[in-house]
Amino acid sequence: MTAIPIQLLQAISQGLSQIPATPEDLAVAAAQLTAQAAGLARLDELDLLTVEPATMLLPPREASRVR
Amino acid sequence: MSADALTRLTIAEAAEMLRRRALSPVELTRACLARIRREDGDRRAFITVLDEQALAAAAAAEQEIAAGRYRGPLHGVPIALKDLVMTRGVRTTCGSRILKDWIPEADATVAVRLAEAGAILLGKLNMHEFAYGPTGVNPHYGTPRNPWDGTRMPGGSSSGSGVAVAAGLVPGALGTDTGGSVRIPAALCGIVGLKPTYGRVSRAGVIPLAWSLDHVGPMTRTVADAALLLQVLAGRDPADPSTADGPVPDYGRALPGEVRGLRLGLLTEYFFAHLEAEVRKAVLAAARSLQALGASVEEVALPGIHHAGPASFAIIASEATAYHEPYLKSRAAEYGADVRARLTTGQFVLATQYLKAQRARQLLRAEVDAALGRVDALLFPTTPIPAPRLEAREATVEGLTEDVRWWLIRCTRPINVTGHPALSVPCGLTTDGLPIGLQIVGRYFDEATLFRIGHALETTSPLRGRRPPGVA
Repeated sequence: MTAIPIQLLQAISQGLSQIPATPEDLAVAAAQLTAQAAGLARLDELDLLTVEPATMLLPPREASRVR
Repeated sequence: MSADALTRLTIAEAAEMLRRRALSPVELTRACLARIRREDGDRRAFITVLDEQALAAAAAAEQEIAAGRYRGPLHGVPIALKDLVMTRGVRTTCGSRILKDWIPEADATVAVRLAEAGAILLGKLNMHEFAYGPTGVNPHYGTPRNPWDGTRMPGGSSSGSGVAVAAGLVPGALGTDTGGSVRIPAALCGIVGLKPTYGRVSRAGVIPLAWSLDHVGPMTRTVADAALLLQVLAGRDPADPSTADGPVPDYGRALPGEVRGLRLGLLTEYFFAHLEAEVRKAVLAAARSLQALGASVEEVALPGIHHAGPASFAIIASEATAYHEPYLKSRAAEYGADVRARLTTGQFVLATQYLKAQRARQLLRAEVDAALGRVDALLFPTTPIPAPRLEAREATVEGLTEDVRWWLIRCTRPINVTGHPALSVPCGLTTDGLPIGLQIVGRYFDEATLFRIGHALETTSPLRGRRPPGVA
């Protein structure tokens, strides 16, 4: 699996998600994403078109209370 | 009975004495508080101890019981909560610096249900920061010490819950489980931990890690105690739309239960692919014990279950980062390094990966359901390794070297992905004296069968009656 470049993550972090990140954290992120890439790609082996997306997505209400 | 002996009582034992007024809630609460004062400076299981509030609640319980208004088996029993369960007027830190001074204005539903049952809230328990890690290591409040060996990880994220219950500081506690965070510390600390069915217990007022995978569950010294806690916690809650409408069974009727005639599936392949030898031996011995009690055991395969790990990663990373984004933008430096790095990772998971992971869950659920159509419950280890050393970063098992965190969640996180109920019960000790956990997984909302099996196993467990060394 090709390693994910830290520079790519830096660009996404700054330009797209706008969540600041340190070079150290981006290095960890790159390693984690690289390690997970093959497994995530293998989800395509499943016949996903035969199922509805899971519906267990409701955020609990305390998310708004804490701030 | 000495104060230390009182702290060794199970919930069921204490409840019987409280009901007969052979024991006072104040006496029991004082015994637990004394032990916490004496030992928790080293153990670090608690973040907040509620001395005065607990004693006042115990005194009120004592008066009610004396007046004939006994509420049930939790009345007058001290309980502690993982510190992400909101408690009105009591700070709720989530094991973080970010929320170190946060005092909620409302209680979580589970806290309300325990209070209504008469339980005494003893305090708030240490945890992996924001529940985002399976080791229990906490840079802000200190890492809770595993009572079996203080140089080993307690497991997480409900680390304080595991340590407090195992060390006799409190007879029962609540934890939360998104990838194994109830079951892992239960296994590593030698106690019982239940991840109920998704939708069985309300998460309203519980700070989420990943809301489509989060569960709240009891952590206790016995299976019967876990059943007593679930009885109070379970049921529909309008404040949590994911909770199920169905009736809550009488879990006590499952105990003591016969396992004769039950069909059990030993999950081989993925779950037995890489195991420390002593874990394999203990889990197989537990299966043989259940066979000797009359259950039948057969091998069962789940060929698609290896997809659960990547699916779990994509969902937790996405949901956790979405929840934490405001803090990441304003207070990132206040997170511990490991949690901040993982939250940083979440912003790079693709939306398509997240949605594929959610769809994959349906197929994995169907696969586990199909297996549970052939057998009544599935058996496999809770963790492939016993408690790692605190400083360990990697572990090698049968030639495979991986991050310790990867090992700890390997056997638990698939069941968060599918939402089935899973009970971890102690099933042995390594030659180094470290506990080993067996995981029992059942059909949706069939926690009663898990209690039957777990209780039967307790009667033959090598850990029966054993306490961690140094726990008087």
